[in-house]
Amino acid sequence: MQECEQVMEFASGNEMASMAIRQIGYDLMGYYPITPSTQIAENLDLMKAEGKTDLIMIAAEGEHSAAGICYGAAVGGGRVINATSANGLLYAIEQFPVQSGTRYPMVMNVACRTVSGPLSIKGDHSDIMYLLNAGWPILFAHSSQQVYDFNIVALKLAEAIRLPVAVAYDGFFTSHQKRRCMRFERDEDVRAFIGEKKEPYPFLDLEHPITVGAYMNEPDLINNRYQLYLAMEEARKVLPRLFAEYGALCGRNYEWCEGYCHEDAETILVLLGSSYDTAMVAVDRLRDKGKKAGILTLEALRPFPEQEVAKKLGHASRILIADRQDSYGALGGNLSMEIRAALQKYGCVGKVKNLVYGLGGKDFYVEDALAMFEIAESENEEFPAYYGVEKGSPEKAGMEKTPFFAPLCREKTQISATIVKEEKRCEPETERKAEQENKAAKVSERIRDCKQVTGGQINQTAAVPKRLAPGHGACPGCGIPVNVNMLLRAIEDPVVLLFQTGCGMIVTTPYPKTSFKVPYLHNLFQNGAATLSGLAEICYRKQEKGEIPKGDIVFIMVSGDGGMDIGMGSALATALRGHRVLLFEYDNGGYMNTGYQLSYSTPKGARSSTSHVGSCQYGKHYFHKDMPELMAAANIPYVATVAESNPADFIKKAAKAADYAKKEGCAYVKAISACPLNWNDAPNKERRVIEAAVNCCYFPLYEVERGITTLSYDPKQNGKKIPVLDWLSMMGRTKHLKKEEYKEVVDSLQEEVDRRFRCLQAKSESPYL
Amino acid sequence: MKNSVTLPITDENGYYEIRLESIGGLGANLCGKMLGELGLKYLGLNSASFSSYGSEKTGTPVKGFIRYSGPEVDIRIHSPIKKPHLLAVFHSALLTDASVLEGCGSYTDIIVNTVNGKEQESFLAPEKYHGVYFVDAQKIAIETKSRVNVVMLGAMAKVMGFVELEALNAICEASLGKKYPAALSGNLEGIKRGFEEVKKAADQYLDGKSRQAERKAGREAETVEGTLDVPVWGYETAPIGGVNPNYGNSVVNDLSPSRQGYFPIFIPEKCINCGLCDTTCPDMVFQFQKGEFKGREMMINKGLDYYHCKGCLRCVDVCPVQALVSGVEAEHPGKEYFMPNQELLRSPVNYEKAGPDGYVTSESYLTEQRMKGGEV
Repeated sequence: MQECEQVMEFASGNEMASMAIRQIGYDLMGYYPITPSTQIAENLDLMKAEGKTDLIMIAAEGEHSAAGICYGAAVGGGRVINATSANGLLYAIEQFPVQSGTRYPMVMNVACRTVSGPLSIKGDHSDIMYLLNAGWPILFAHSSQQVYDFNIVALKLAEAIRLPVAVAYDGFFTSHQKRRCMRFERDEDVRAFIGEKKEPYPFLDLEHPITVGAYMNEPDLINNRYQLYLAMEEARKVLPRLFAEYGALCGRNYEWCEGYCHEDAETILVLLGSSYDTAMVAVDRLRDKGKKAGILTLEALRPFPEQEVAKKLGHASRILIADRQDSYGALGGNLSMEIRAALQKYGCVGKVKNLVYGLGGKDFYVEDALAMFEIAESENEEFPAYYGVEKGSPEKAGMEKTPFFAPLCREKTQISATIVKEEKRCEPETERKAEQENKAAKVSERIRDCKQVTGGQINQTAAVPKRLAPGHGACPGCGIPVNVNMLLRAIEDPVVLLFQTGCGMIVTTPYPKTSFKVPYLHNLFQNGAATLSGLAEICYRKQEKGEIPKGDIVFIMVSGDGGMDIGMGSALATALRGHRVLLFEYDNGGYMNTGYQLSYSTPKGARSSTSHVGSCQYGKHYFHKDMPELMAAANIPYVATVAESNPADFIKKAAKAADYAKKEGCAYVKAISACPLNWNDAPNKERRVIEAAVNCCYFPLYEVERGITTLSYDPKQNGKKIPVLDWLSMMGRTKHLKKEEYKEVVDSLQEEVDRRFRCLQAKSESPYL
Repeated sequence: MKNSVTLPITDENGYYEIRLESIGGLGANLCGKMLGELGLKYLGLNSASFSSYGSEKTGTPVKGFIRYSGPEVDIRIHSPIKKPHLLAVFHSALLTDASVLEGCGSYTDIIVNTVNGKEQESFLAPEKYHGVYFVDAQKIAIETKSRVNVVMLGAMAKVMGFVELEALNAICEASLGKKYPAALSGNLEGIKRGFEEVKKAADQYLDGKSRQAERKAGREAETVEGTLDVPVWGYETAPIGGVNPNYGNSVVNDLSPSRQGYFPIFIPEKCINCGLCDTTCPDMVFQFQKGEFKGREMMINKGLDYYHCKGCLRCVDVCPVQALVSGVEAEHPGKEYFMPNQELLRSPVNYEKAGPDGYVTSESYLTEQRMKGGEV
């Protein structure tokens, strides 16, 4: 075979993955953004906007759904790609055996990142090792070049053995570092290598209907599993052949495992991923000193190349296996355990040590590789379980002897600046009259009572101590602390806060600092509301038992609109169960924490890093989610929308919400929240931008109290109504919509906004709607 | 492929290493990418570039790393650059942070974006380094309608000595010109003026040839000691589970480096104590206390906690009576009505200079915004 034309690129692993995906010509990508793999979807979306690919891209509301979208598309016979990392991989994990067990090929890139918690975004291998038992072949690339090459080989492998394949590589070190790489010049060469897709049982062939996903117990399941086992063994045969075919096209030849100076080495260090490259430099230095040092890395984790590993390591007298992950309690990570087993099986006699290093992306320098060689060569049988940990010194421990603030006990916050009282919605006289007019009126048909707030003045509520300490790391002008503070100044009872993952959480709690002066918990954003349910219930139980003092405590979840996408199910279920908690959403219309990908609340037409604007795309192509109405449909006692541009209204609603959360059940409050960085507007103008969002009715202010909808503010009546475009024009992310070519987009958004507002008006006019 | 340029100095691995020290919003990330691509595609070198991960909120400290080597050398090392041959400081306020100069020594050329080079020399002790250079990149950027990053790019090319202005123009046209043709001429002008206007601070060093010998020797020699990467708590001292019992301790962060020249000035005589500033401030800067105003008992604005003000000027925009106005910080060194947080039981021993933190790890969108000169 003849080598194909290639071009040089200066690119990162994620960029090379994106190029391979584009060149292969996949049909569909189902994904959910998660650092550090997000760039793949972003790059492809940009290509799509510019007309360079016609890939169908579906941003799911979470990785579990993304995996489902991919599965469905694969069953339908499409060529399907996904990309994820860390907890995203774990969230989707139950889908992976479904896909492999039913034998539908696809490819998934995993930019490896440490699994939470505590949350860290940096690279290690704790995520990918969870995939070992899923029935997916796993290729591991240690360079951007390999990311490209393996992406191409992976699909051919997947289709050859009818299994989904993962291509893993180091998050950041490989995914983000830009290096010299080569790629095929012509897409046709890539496509010719992969060939046509063959489907043994075309699902969409209506003439020959098939059933996929049988209910299967004994005696059948074990046979199905054995077929999977055989497929993986088939991969063992197929992959070397594919590597050889591929190598003939590009001159880059791959094996199960790759060594450097290992043939005659007495001491070999085994490393996975980018550390292998860095360690080469250490080998050179040791060789210069006459030491017989070598290194080895694996390019496939599944099927595990035990024979090849044993062959390359067998002669060494000392071996150190460095794991960038731990299988806690197993005395090592999965890599070292599997290699130890292989060495034993093939009768290798070298001394083997293993250690865990580099967790959470802790940098790996040449000096670290040298130190590891020293550990390997030490006569001491003992070896450290972890490399690179710090004991810490009590003097430096930073355990402050006295706190910076007095605890915010009840007496400090209960200053009666805002008071909530129960009030009859109708005067008794009017109600009696109504009953007389309609004799059949039952109690249940009566208009329910509401709560009334007195006080709540801006000046007076300034006396409520802030629950957030200053010094947090939000961008200048960020709306999140503004909204959280506005909410909390109305709530005088003690509060317990739970933040779902997002900017709000990241900027307030960078270890070892925290901006919270009250009890605070973080959980991942698909699960905050459920977590708060449990927390609140245990508190109420402890109060009943007298284990902690009685008295109202308000349990509040704070989430971005991103958390309210992936955590929508959890939040709705919490609402349906009627826990006494307050769910507070700050909606900045995007996944700002990860670089502004579209959320379901991003306005239609808005530019984001997964809804680029180009000749073939105008930004996000569907309408913003109406979360308050979804919550209202859960029939919780209180739903409200608030905006910082209407502070008095905000404070009153916050006070009411807290009162409901204490006494009756779930309350939900949503604030529109500014993000100067990604709205791309001036930080000092944000309140005006928010005011415009309210005045154009994109973000109507209203409440649904015990099922009764009341508009809090009608811009038209106040002579403030503006077209949606006036608001969109204020932000860089939507400014392009001013152009004539986007008139249709703007018109459709205007129509949708008007329709939703008319619905609200109608509901507001009738207590029964 | 062009013939490879000759690198003036390389380390034991054959690399010429560049480190960028910046804050989010100045475009160092893009600058690093352009430098990397420049090396590979226009200088005939091999190159690699990356940024410090996980810090791209506005005002966040950002580091960029670029490695050059001859085309035959593989760049294998993936770790950050500890001992740069060229250090570019995109904002002079960063010099107060010791970690910025970490690992620099007699082999290092340092370029600082500064308004007044003289003032910065005290921080820098130029005799420790191979060369210290200043350029007023902010001013040039404003005058040429370009960005700080391209001006710094020009200045760096000049100091590196092996990059022709033509190569810079070519990379600029290739990476920015196609997408943002309108901004191209400004950017090219910015590069040119950076190249031309960067100035050496002190000239106590030797002439060209012996200087190179001096640099190589210097690589192993005295460097600025680092304090990075040493955690406050270790596994014997940290509470288990990542629990943090030091509630509210972010108050020790001094966020004033986030301000970009402007800050709010308070005029109490005009203040009507409406409290709107307190509702719009994301950083809890306003210190309201019980008091009397026009005979009524109410909360009174007593002053601003400038340690935590990031200069967003939201308060100036909402103040209905112009009791808060925007001012150029450099013109008001006294900071009247500076009142540290009044809820503190004790004053922090040391406020720690810090920028905002957090992570934004996606670049495509932000890059676009910046190239358009957006308020990022």
